[in-house]
Amino acid sequence: MKIKVCGMKHPENINAVSQCEPDFMGFIFYKKSPRYVLDKTLVFAKEMNPNTKTVGVFVNSPISEVLEIVQEYNLNFVQLHGNESVDYAKKLYNAGVNLIKAFQVNKNFDWDKIKDYKPFVNYLLFDTATKSYGGSGLKFNWELLRNYKEEIPFFLSGGIEIDDAEMIKEIDLPQLFAIDINSKFETEPGVKNEELVNKMINTIRMKSKYQVNDKGFYGEYGGAFIPEMLYPNIKELQESYEEIIQSDSFQEELQALLKDYVGRPTPLYYSKRLSDHYKADIYLKREDLCHTGAHKINNALGQILLAKKRNKKRIIAETGAGQHGVATATACALMGLECVVYMGAKDIKRQAPNVARMKMLGASIVPVTSGSQTLKDATNEAIRDWINNPTDTHYLIGSVVGPHPYPDMVAKFQAVISKEIKNQIKENPTHIIACIGGGSNAIGAFYHFLEDEDVELIGIEAGGMGIDTPETAATLALGSQGVLHACMTTVLQTEDGQVIEPHSISAGLDYPGIGPQHAHLHKTKRVKYSNITDQEALDAAHFLSHMEGIIPALESSHALAYLEKMEIKPTDRIIINLSGRGDKDLETLTKTIKE
Amino acid sequence: MLQELFKNTKEPLLNIYFTAGYPQLNSMPEILEGLVNSGVDMVEIGMPYSDPLSDGPTIQNSSSIAIKNGITTDMIFDQLSKCPSNISKIMMGYYNAVYLYGVEKFCEKCKDNGVSGVILPDLPIDIYLKEYKGIFEKYGISNIFLITPETTESRIRYIDECSTSFIYAVSSSSTTGKGTGIQSAEGYLRRLKGMNLTNPLMVGFNISTKEDFDFASTYTAGGIIGSAFIKHIAGSKNLTQDTETFINSIREKK
Repeated sequence: MKIKVCGMKHPENINAVSQCEPDFMGFIFYKKSPRYVLDKTLVFAKEMNPNTKTVGVFVNSPISEVLEIVQEYNLNFVQLHGNESVDYAKKLYNAGVNLIKAFQVNKNFDWDKIKDYKPFVNYLLFDTATKSYGGSGLKFNWELLRNYKEEIPFFLSGGIEIDDAEMIKEIDLPQLFAIDINSKFETEPGVKNEELVNKMINTIRMKSKYQVNDKGFYGEYGGAFIPEMLYPNIKELQESYEEIIQSDSFQEELQALLKDYVGRPTPLYYSKRLSDHYKADIYLKREDLCHTGAHKINNALGQILLAKKRNKKRIIAETGAGQHGVATATACALMGLECVVYMGAKDIKRQAPNVARMKMLGASIVPVTSGSQTLKDATNEAIRDWINNPTDTHYLIGSVVGPHPYPDMVAKFQAVISKEIKNQIKENPTHIIACIGGGSNAIGAFYHFLEDEDVELIGIEAGGMGIDTPETAATLALGSQGVLHACMTTVLQTEDGQVIEPHSISAGLDYPGIGPQHAHLHKTKRVKYSNITDQEALDAAHFLSHMEGIIPALESSHALAYLEKMEIKPTDRIIINLSGRGDKDLETLTKTIKE
Repeated sequence: MLQELFKNTKEPLLNIYFTAGYPQLNSMPEILEGLVNSGVDMVEIGMPYSDPLSDGPTIQNSSSIAIKNGITTDMIFDQLSKCPSNISKIMMGYYNAVYLYGVEKFCEKCKDNGVSGVILPDLPIDIYLKEYKGIFEKYGISNIFLITPETTESRIRYIDECSTSFIYAVSSSSTTGKGTGIQSAEGYLRRLKGMNLTNPLMVGFNISTKEDFDFASTYTAGGIIGSAFIKHIAGSKNLTQDTETFINSIREKK
């Protein structure tokens, strides 16, 4: 659900409210309104954070005046709040203006009159009917919305206050796109109480049907299925993580590190040759250019700061491909903390360069010889270490898996990927594609687009030798519901609940579970999941190396390979999250170079 | 039945854990015979799981051998049905297996096969209370919760309220079979004893000898031995006899 804060007037107040990052900010160009904009307001609105779209609200103004203002102040949207005719809307729309048409609703409202506006508006807005044009601070009977049968998404407006958040969440209408808040969040007309606005934004965003609920679940997935030995540790983390990571001092420190140490923002690279080849616009989100060579560092730095704030002296981690191990060892070196990395004996062999890097960074590496000797068993051993060291140790989980709050916490640290994408694009992409083992780079790339239903999100699992063989790691394709690593999710398992050892050529995807949020996004069909075989991923790695001079990680190659399988239209704008670079995979890759 | 055992026994109670399907697929009758013969008070039958997070190497290893041997939840119940005895029986395992088996079907099978208690260390209490308490009660199955040295007093009291037979007091914050020594738990056990809880306590983890058992029993109703017993029967040629030898080394036959 999106949030529009309307009736902004004073520069300092705009600045304060924009820190809360509402999706839309409205400026009123109706002279009779007490919230009518000031000249200085508008100069400021021009410099708005690109995550917040600007909306000019007009009431029966001459079209030429509207167009002039839109152009002068780069307004993203125009909201027509008077009795503007269909023809009026058509003229503006055809002039390239994005339109929101407001309607004042009461029990006598004629829902049919919306129909004629449909071709010429992007959104509708339903406000309470009044004698003047809105601004009554009163709600209309929201039950009336059931009469709305069109597909165009709408803003809900009129007297919304902080206590309405829960009720809004329960409105079960897919077209409800955003809420419009105004007078109930003010200290005086035109002056918003930024704390109250922030609280509303957080409550509404937290309550997204795709995000974790207050019990730690995503629908039926998630939770914390932990033995009592871990209870105090997890409980404390659950209760403190949000406050810590949302605090200004934490964010300042993290943002500084992400910028100067990691090298963020990472580029969103328009790949000309791939675009020519696939006959559509193809972009690569270059997480491979992060310090340490993959997105994993985003989360490792976030959690290491959290561990420091919680006075932990020792860091443990599991790793598959070694990217998370390297990121953790790097973060530990940076902060001067002891680092122990659990890694499957099989993975130690196939990811030797990363093992060497971790050693160079001063981490101890514990080879795990139980079970499949890969990521699953490394995770088991890390959890056992944590059980044995419950007070001084932080377990730095590398993916959106494990007990609550890890899936949410890791997602929040990786969400920087999609946040940057939003700033780097003018209009939403048609598709975002990312590979999935546990699913952290994918959640990161999807996070800020989950509510943008016009963007098709695609997660690619490792098909291994093929999903019709036992040699696969395609959890969502073949798994069933169960508990793995302390969360309810989808698991590759036998009927009796024994976890099946997966297979993928890529150590980072070789995992028999998946983050609970992905299980939920799969169940709710918000994200489409598919899979790519070892061979297809290898081919894609060679292809990108030749086409763009970029050697991708085998994990990310799964996402790239999907371009071969999908139906692409010339109008598509496709973003591939290039989660890591392929240096670590050179041994595997060079064996398959065609002479 | 568990409640009566605690009520009617003045001596320290001995509970022995063994992994079903280990060392051989059909070892259960022989082990049970040895345990019954040597006068053990309670047996805890381990349901092997591929990813036992709370267990150290000994029980992990016995579990993976049992899984390789082909043990399943149904086979465990089937084996139990073939060796009836009056000894108190508890099933110990991880939530995933019970979830997939179906909690109600599982409780029903427990009841049918003389199992009166279940330990699922990774099933959170709030989920148990919300989803499953009614089912457990319907079949008269007691859900047994763990506490550790890190568990706060208020939570121990809460767990005491939720318990219906005994509380499993883990002696150290560790996985099973760590062998950190039960003596280091003295302060914790003394504190527990002083709390005068409604339910009796059984101590588990770090008990492998007579001395350990006697020490734990000074503060609580008795002790649970797992890893040490599993190690003892590894490679056994005569499970019944070896079982009796082990138990007699812990406690003289009643």
